[in-house]
Amino acid sequence: MTDHRRTLTLTAVLSALIVVSTVAAPMVSARPAHEIPVSEVSTADLAEPNADGWEAVPASDVPLSSAPSSVPNADDTSIETVDVQAARTDQRLYVRLEWQDATRDMNASATREFADAVAVQFPVNTSSRPPIAMGGPDNRVNVWYWSGSTGTQELLAGGAGSTTPFENPTVQANASHSGTGSNATWTVVYSRQLDAPSENRTDLRTDGDLDVAFAVWNGSNGERSGQKAVSEWHYYPFSGGPQGPPYETLLWTLAGIAIVAVVGVTSFGIYRTQGAE
Amino acid sequence: MSTDQQDDQGEEDTLVNVADGVDHQVAMVMDLNKCIGCQTCTIACKNLWTEDGGSEYMYWNNVETKPGEGYPRGWEDSGGGWESSEHSDRSPGEIPDDEDYGRAWEFNHEEIMYEGSDEPLRPRDGAEWGPNWDEDQGAGEYPNSYYFYLPRICNHCTHPSCVEACPRSALYKRQEDGIVLVDQDRCRGYRYCVEGCPYKKVYYNTVSKKSEKCIFCYPRIEGEGPDGETFAPACAEECPPQLRLVGFLDDEEGPIHKLVNEYEVALPLHPEFRTQPNVYYIPPFAPGQHTEDGETVDIDRIPRQYLRELFGDGVDEALDTIDAHRQRVRQGGDSELMELLQDKNPAKQYRLEVFDDD
Ligand code: SF4
Ligand code: SF4
Repeated sequence: MTDHRRTLTLTAVLSALIVVSTVAAPMVSARPAHEIPVSEVSTADLAEPNADGWEAVPASDVPLSSAPSSVPNADDTSIETVDVQAARTDQRLYVRLEWQDATRDMNASATREFADAVAVQFPVNTSSRPPIAMGGPDNRVNVWYWSGSTGTQELLAGGAGSTTPFENPTVQANASHSGTGSNATWTVVYSRQLDAPSENRTDLRTDGDLDVAFAVWNGSNGERSGQKAVSEWHYYPFSGGPQGPPYETLLWTLAGIAIVAVVGVTSFGIYRTQGAE
Repeated sequence: MSTDQQDDQGEEDTLVNVADGVDHQVAMVMDLNKCIGCQTCTIACKNLWTEDGGSEYMYWNNVETKPGEGYPRGWEDSGGGWESSEHSDRSPGEIPDDEDYGRAWEFNHEEIMYEGSDEPLRPRDGAEWGPNWDEDQGAGEYPNSYYFYLPRICNHCTHPSCVEACPRSALYKRQEDGIVLVDQDRCRGYRYCVEGCPYKKVYYNTVSKKSEKCIFCYPRIEGEGPDGETFAPACAEECPPQLRLVGFLDDEEGPIHKLVNEYEVALPLHPEFRTQPNVYYIPPFAPGQHTEDGETVDIDRIPRQYLRELFGDGVDEALDTIDAHRQRVRQGGDSELMELLQDKNPAKQYRLEVFDDD
């Protein structure tokens, strides 16, 4: 084999590898671990937990663990995962959460009784990610909260212990508990208009990725306040635009083409130089 | 003692220990030798503050028989308070069950009044426990049985573990007088205060879903009444034998300071919880034990060890001091302490306006 041929072969293998790796990379990370897909739908039959519309919406399994907190028994939480679905019309965002809980704890009417609850947390200012535990004083969070005893609340928090309810919640929530025994599940659907209804509420019409986190409380385990099962920050990939190719894939493809072009041109140059000897 | 007060009054610093950030500390002394267990205090409080839905089961002021389970049942073993006098780590506590407080029973009034039933009037369903279920039971064997009454309110502690327990800072100690309150706007019904108070003097309102507690009748002591007059808390004013003294712990001219800090005869309940209560008790005396033949012998009827468990080791000296002053007066001598314990002058019994000009 001549030098020329060796160079050509090497160039071809290299180019092929680069193309494979650049195309493969976005395929592997097409659903990064913390991304929760959002289906874009034109009409919504999504407000109820068992609405037909949810069948076509993909679900993500979000792992939960005990929140770091100074309240007693903070590490004693019982819900380990929550299934999250999200869909968006041009007016509203719908978020459906489903988790296993054998007991339907709807009341806090006895001294030792606590109700089941669930929350979705967004940054108030979507351009930066607040501290996960109820945000921080300069970086607040907007929380959609539902509990069996209080119903729906919309909260603003700037750090643990600062949670304050808005007077008139603009979030709707519908909940249902179904099944029996350890397979019984809670399903709660939240929805809110995309435009921020007021100051200190998250603008859901953002073009950037929207950070989101989840929390679940099991009332019959005495869970309340900081004794809760929480997720890490996840995000809704709103930057991708409706049904378009994920933004990341586009970037990787462009980068791949560029690299291949550079390698190609360089190899051709080397080949020409060697061929001229 | 606050610097404010030193500046205002140009006084030397004293040993009166009020909480950091608190100007003055309200306090109460109850003389257990005078309590007749009439519950007038309990009802005075209930009529004022806990008649609404969700608070039926609450007795911000309760009077329990000791020895006895108390209200809520078994509260002395329900945890809470502080691990050490550093006040850095709280002891875990429990929320009492509804049954431990005692439910409001339903009676068969309907049947008896309107349906002609000749049953006796009684609770409709299994009434198995309630506040004062063990009233007057006490302990000991005939002829040496014993009991006494213990009226209890929130102690408005200097180191309130209820305040520390709340992750939302919904409970706070008022700067002006150290009264411990629950901010109803901040409270989200988590009940860490209920479990954190070793005296179980914070209650969860099952309708409003928020915690509530004794407010030391602050509108009364602030003179919010009809004529702008200042009144002591209702439990004190309504008490037939007037056994409660009300004032400020740091009012050095007042009887409370003298009884607590000078004579050391007024003691906090369960000091081992380390919240430093501001309600103090004159420990109870009882006649000596009797023999089978009815002769009085020189043995304590109320076991001293039991009193130590309730009021700490200081109870021995307190009882000795009172005894010594009693002897002195019996022998014709004078005793300021005996006068303080018998004083009926309302100006001295309730001293609530001493710091009004601060
Ligand atoms: S008695 Fe209990 S409720 Fe009252 S201040 Fe002390 S710790 Fe708090
Ligand atoms: S009103 Fe006075 S005497 Fe009657 S129970 Fe209360 S503290 Fe005791």
